Amino acid sequence: MTPITQNPPAAVPAQSFRPSMLWHALPWALAIGIYFIADGYHGLGTNIMIWILFAVSLDLALGYGGIITLGHAAFFGAGAYCAGIFAIHVNNDPLLGLLVATLFAGLLGFITGMLILHTRGETLLMLTLAIAALLYEAANHARWLTGGDDGLSGIRVAPVLGLFRFDLWGKTAYLYTLSVLFVWFVIAFFVVRSPFGRSLDGIRQNAKRMRAIGTPVWWRLVAMYALSAAMAGTAGALMAQTTRIVGLSSLELLTSGVVAVMLVLGGERRLYGAFIGATIYVIVQDLAGAISPFIWMFVIGFLLIVIVLFFEGGLMGIIDDVVNRLKGRGRKDQRS
Amino acid sequence: MTQFLTILLDGTSYGMVLFIISVGLTVTMGLMRVVNLAHGAFAMIGGYIATVLVLKLGVPFLLATVLAAIAAGILGGLAEITVYRPLYRKGELPQVLLTIGLCFVAIAALTFFVGPTPLPAIVPAWLDQMVDIGFRLYPAYRLFLIVVGGLLAFIVWLIIERSLFGARLRAAVDDPQMARSVGMDVSRMFTITFVGGCALAGFGGAVGAGVLPLEPFYALRYLVYFLIVVAVGGMGSFRGSLVAALAIGIIDTAGRYTVPQFGGFLLYLLVFALLLWRPNGLLPPKSVA
Amino acid sequence: MKRVWAATTIAAMMVGASVAGVSSAYADVVKFGIIMPFSGPFAVLGKQAKEAVEAFQKLNGKTVNGHEIQVIWRDEGAGDAAKTRQFAEELILREKVNVLGGFALTPDALAVAEVISEAQTPTVILNAATSIIPRKSPYFIRISMTAAQYISPLGGWATKNGVKTAYTMVSDYGPGIDMEGEFTSSFERGGGKVVGKDRVPLNVTDFAPYMERALQSKADALFIFAPGGAPSVAMVREFERRGLKQAGMKLMGSGEMQEIFLPSFGDSVLGAISSNHYTESNQRPENIAFRKALNDSTGREAVPDIVAVAAWDGMQLVYATVKSLGPKFTGDQAIDFMKKQTINSPRGPVSFDPKERDIIQNVYVREVRKVDGKVINVDIATVEQVRDPWKDNNPNAK
Repeated sequence: MTPITQNPPAAVPAQSFRPSMLWHALPWALAIGIYFIADGYHGLGTNIMIWILFAVSLDLALGYGGIITLGHAAFFGAGAYCAGIFAIHVNNDPLLGLLVATLFAGLLGFITGMLILHTRGETLLMLTLAIAALLYEAANHARWLTGGDDGLSGIRVAPVLGLFRFDLWGKTAYLYTLSVLFVWFVIAFFVVRSPFGRSLDGIRQNAKRMRAIGTPVWWRLVAMYALSAAMAGTAGALMAQTTRIVGLSSLELLTSGVVAVMLVLGGERRLYGAFIGATIYVIVQDLAGAISPFIWMFVIGFLLIVIVLFFEGGLMGIIDDVVNRLKGRGRKDQRS
Repeated sequence: MTQFLTILLDGTSYGMVLFIISVGLTVTMGLMRVVNLAHGAFAMIGGYIATVLVLKLGVPFLLATVLAAIAAGILGGLAEITVYRPLYRKGELPQVLLTIGLCFVAIAALTFFVGPTPLPAIVPAWLDQMVDIGFRLYPAYRLFLIVVGGLLAFIVWLIIERSLFGARLRAAVDDPQMARSVGMDVSRMFTITFVGGCALAGFGGAVGAGVLPLEPFYALRYLVYFLIVVAVGGMGSFRGSLVAALAIGIIDTAGRYTVPQFGGFLLYLLVFALLLWRPNGLLPPKSVA
Repeated sequence: MKRVWAATTIAAMMVGASVAGVSSAYADVVKFGIIMPFSGPFAVLGKQAKEAVEAFQKLNGKTVNGHEIQVIWRDEGAGDAAKTRQFAEELILREKVNVLGGFALTPDALAVAEVISEAQTPTVILNAATSIIPRKSPYFIRISMTAAQYISPLGGWATKNGVKTAYTMVSDYGPGIDMEGEFTSSFERGGGKVVGKDRVPLNVTDFAPYMERALQSKADALFIFAPGGAPSVAMVREFERRGLKQAGMKLMGSGEMQEIFLPSFGDSVLGAISSNHYTESNQRPENIAFRKALNDSTGREAVPDIVAVAAWDGMQLVYATVKSLGPKFTGDQAIDFMKKQTINSPRGPVSFDPKERDIIQNVYVREVRKVDGKVINVDIATVEQVRDPWKDNNPNAK
């Protein structure tokens, strides 16, 4: 029910270079810089990047596609279990496992998407929730395959490209995750700027009108949902490969909720919002958890209320406001 | 036959608790179009208040549940005015997130102030016994739930179907824009309805504590059930929520009784199938049907 | 660039070391990292462990031979194994903990096995109860219990005390299924017969249909197992409410009958039999001292549970290790030392099976009674020095 007042941002030719484009290099430069100075924090960094990827995937479905879901953990968990089981029983090459898990989750997204995407709003919310709950029950019952409540352990992962072993310090895992995140980000970046992405803007704002002008609304949504599911599956697979354990919690309602929290914290429909949201969430949890573990849920809850009420664009929205004010411009929605 | 009747009674009493708690949610979601995931938190708070009243202050059980309902209603009213009102114009995602945030805060606060352990039962002795109902001995508490649930359903029915307020409410659910344009004070109606819904939830949390035990995670643990009632019944439909709550209670109970190994699956599968077949639920109000 | 950083770091460390050297020549910090849930449905476990550790340090001081024992906490949340593993890595690499501990649930412990093996960090399991865990890494040592261990005497006790048939009702997850198997085998070994069983999904709290099935089975006793908290509370309440007790059925369980949970049940739980390795109201001097320390530290009438006692004993183990080995030790040295210890625990004498690095302890069969107006567990039988039966039955399982 997003108001239609937002102007679709003017199309920018992809080729013309502007100095502001350099901003795009910032998070990546930061991530690479952190690699060199943050000994002992690589595990945390890897975890953050996996959540970023998961949050970006949700941004595609929820932010850009307008598909209201509380069941995205289904694809995250499916990817994680698929990667884990594939590594144990078939082949432990990480890239192959990643590919299989991504395709599996994408296929799952495609099938369930075809089933449920003719609905909207609360009904859709409940359907996504039910799918995640069904997968959870299935994983819980199939103990012989998933380890049930004990979690899937005993995953061994071969060195990346046969060269880089996953070390205890998590340096390989860090770079591996960073590379995968980058590849997916580039894909997402171009998808949301493509005519396909633009058509989803239209569907989100007025599906009826888009249908009237001949857009195959349902197929577009299914395609976006499948893409988003595949991406979430990759995130899950990365979690499985870098931590070598998959728990039932990867399919939980709370996991779906947490990733949505991250997205809104950072600001939806911006891609980079997911970066900030996931980073802040994981770090707050880490810090608040270290000070007094009782309070992190309170801090996150409170932050959510404040963000939704007062800073609709999330933290990225605040940054935009500040930048615009510095430039002496009025407030303008720069979402894309 | 005895078995069948037992399942029916068990399912009905369970369904009644779901109904008492969820009916407020369905009306507010139908009326205000707010995805309110914090509804379970109001039920939880009601239950906590009743428990504290009974155990610490010695208030009688029935009075405590009524007081809990009032307190939950007041809290609900405050929440409506401060945080919900700005939400109405926002999309579903902010609504989902803000109400999850409320849940988190409630869970953290109760964990901090009351503690993480489940609360003791406050069902009084006169309810906590078996009575002879002809074909078997049956827990009085469950019969009490059925009676109370039935009574509340009747009262809510009276209000919604027979009072002027109810007529306005139904009109506003069916066509909010038209209701506004003929001069109804829809925003006041929102507040009143929200207070009523939260009071019912608080009451349900308090009397239903014997079926849904109180603990800080209550707000999220049973949320899915409340949402299922709303979605299956048809958002905004009072009759739908009664039918859905009872159906869920009975089907869930029967499923667990007869095929316990499929326990978790059955309900979700049915909900999934039903929502694919009738996306707007069993008895949707006119505006969405 | 990297070299500059290294040089700066080394310089800083040298300055730091010289400053520290002035204040005390030999004082070292020994870090004990504990990962337990403080949020989510299992938050009570973390709270109990923390209170016990704080009480221990208040009573015994924070130093051993001048070496400070620093406890670092991490919240594993609602049983998120991946996060637990990440915390373990972080505690080992960033905080440089000397000893690791905690783990409420089995998946959390399994998740860190690989990490502690590679880092050779001695790790004390404070709760997770699946038998196989210590075999997953040579650096595990368990001071809590195994499910099979503390349930094994119950079946035998029941058959000797007039229970001929039983119905089992367990939560449908790893420990529940283990419990069901262990109880069934010990009960049938004694000549009893299990006439029916139910595995209840974890998220269920309305137990009416299951209790109805149990009632129809007309068994002499009902054996239950559910994780502490809402599920077990609802289970016991429904047992009473549905009249299984009136029908003469005996309620038997284990961890759900801990004293800390008894008030949640009300009087309905009176007469229930349970089997556990720690009876909260036992009158051993160690237990009286433990409970007094806990009351003094928390400032209220605290009721310890099995996690509290495990954390307390875990601290004893760590203090003893530092006392003997000093502040610097390798993982092998520490584990080697720890597994030879015997501890006078509040629960009774505790030692370890040196080969399996798993705990050997007394198991008590208790009955819930009202004593001086308080509902508590009273020992009615003791089985001394119980090993984990699962390991003896599965000598080669990995």
